[in-house]
Amino acid sequence: MKPSSYSLILGVALLAGCATQNATYVDPNGTHTLATVNKINIQDWSNAAETMINSLLDSGKVQTHGTEPAILAISRILNNTTEQIDIDMLTKKMRVALNKSGKMVTTTTQGLGGAEDPLAKGLQDQEAFIKNTKVTRNPDYTLSGKIIEDRARVGNVRQASYIFQLSLSSSDGLAVWEEEKTITKQGTKPAAGW
Amino acid sequence: MKINYLFASLLGVSMAACTTVNTVERAQPVAQKQMIADKRVLTDAGLARGASIVGVNESSTPDGFLKVQVEILNRTRSLKHFSYRFEWFDQNGMLVNTPTSTSIPRQIEGQESLFITAIAPTPLAKDFRVKLIEDNR
Repeated sequence: MKPSSYSLILGVALLAGCATQNATYVDPNGTHTLATVNKINIQDWSNAAETMINSLLDSGKVQTHGTEPAILAISRILNNTTEQIDIDMLTKKMRVALNKSGKMVTTTTQGLGGAEDPLAKGLQDQEAFIKNTKVTRNPDYTLSGKIIEDRARVGNVRQASYIFQLSLSSSDGLAVWEEEKTITKQGTKPAAGW
Repeated sequence: MKINYLFASLLGVSMAACTTVNTVERAQPVAQKQMIADKRVLTDAGLARGASIVGVNESSTPDGFLKVQVEILNRTRSLKHFSYRFEWFDQNGMLVNTPTSTSIPRQIEGQESLFITAIAPTPLAKDFRVKLIEDNR
């Protein structure tokens, strides 16, 4: 009887060990998200996007066509950090915000490396063929930039800075708006372990 | 002798924790701030001292977006970490949802004054609310 009890307890303990802790939902824009030094966290992307949008809307440099919003195309945004990142974490937030502001809409048929939406591009080409005319309106502005990383360490304190640089160029090739946002985080490295 | 060392260490630690800021500015400012009457709800007395709201002024961008600036003063003598978040409302009082409305972490030295600014996400946004929370991360 005793060996059976032991095996039962052991079985329960093993099962409990396999079970994951209950997850809780947190507001991604709130203050309870996790922050790490080694990567750009979700709140860092939001923080950078908010700074960029505030600066862009404040500049008053985006010229619309009367009531029609200007057209934006996303150009090259270089990732000069050590981590693999999806640049849409920054650009999509900005695109949504610009769209809602009524100042700009983003083209999904023109972009670096081809159309973002191939179906929309096909429909656009088809319409141009049927009407025998050029229906494409060229983008008024392009967005380009770079994300840079800088690291420092003193003792067991580690610091990582992520620098977000963006430029908005007009169709005549002039950078009509530029902004830079630096996010710096510090953390301590444990004496043992990784 | 040991007590002297202990006292000196304690004094050193307490002085290190109390770094305050000295400032200088134009005696007669040229800029004229358009201050607005504000309503405050204070639930955290510690934060109300560490990130005290001095005043709120507003203007608008060339494209008609509402621009708000809040002056924050740390009335304590120690560094404080806090986060702020702007919420925007249209003329009907409805919340304007925007993907870039997020909590922004800031730190403020003892006796330091700083400004937090935000631009409304759309020209339809007519009112705002700023939330401040102590950041313990």
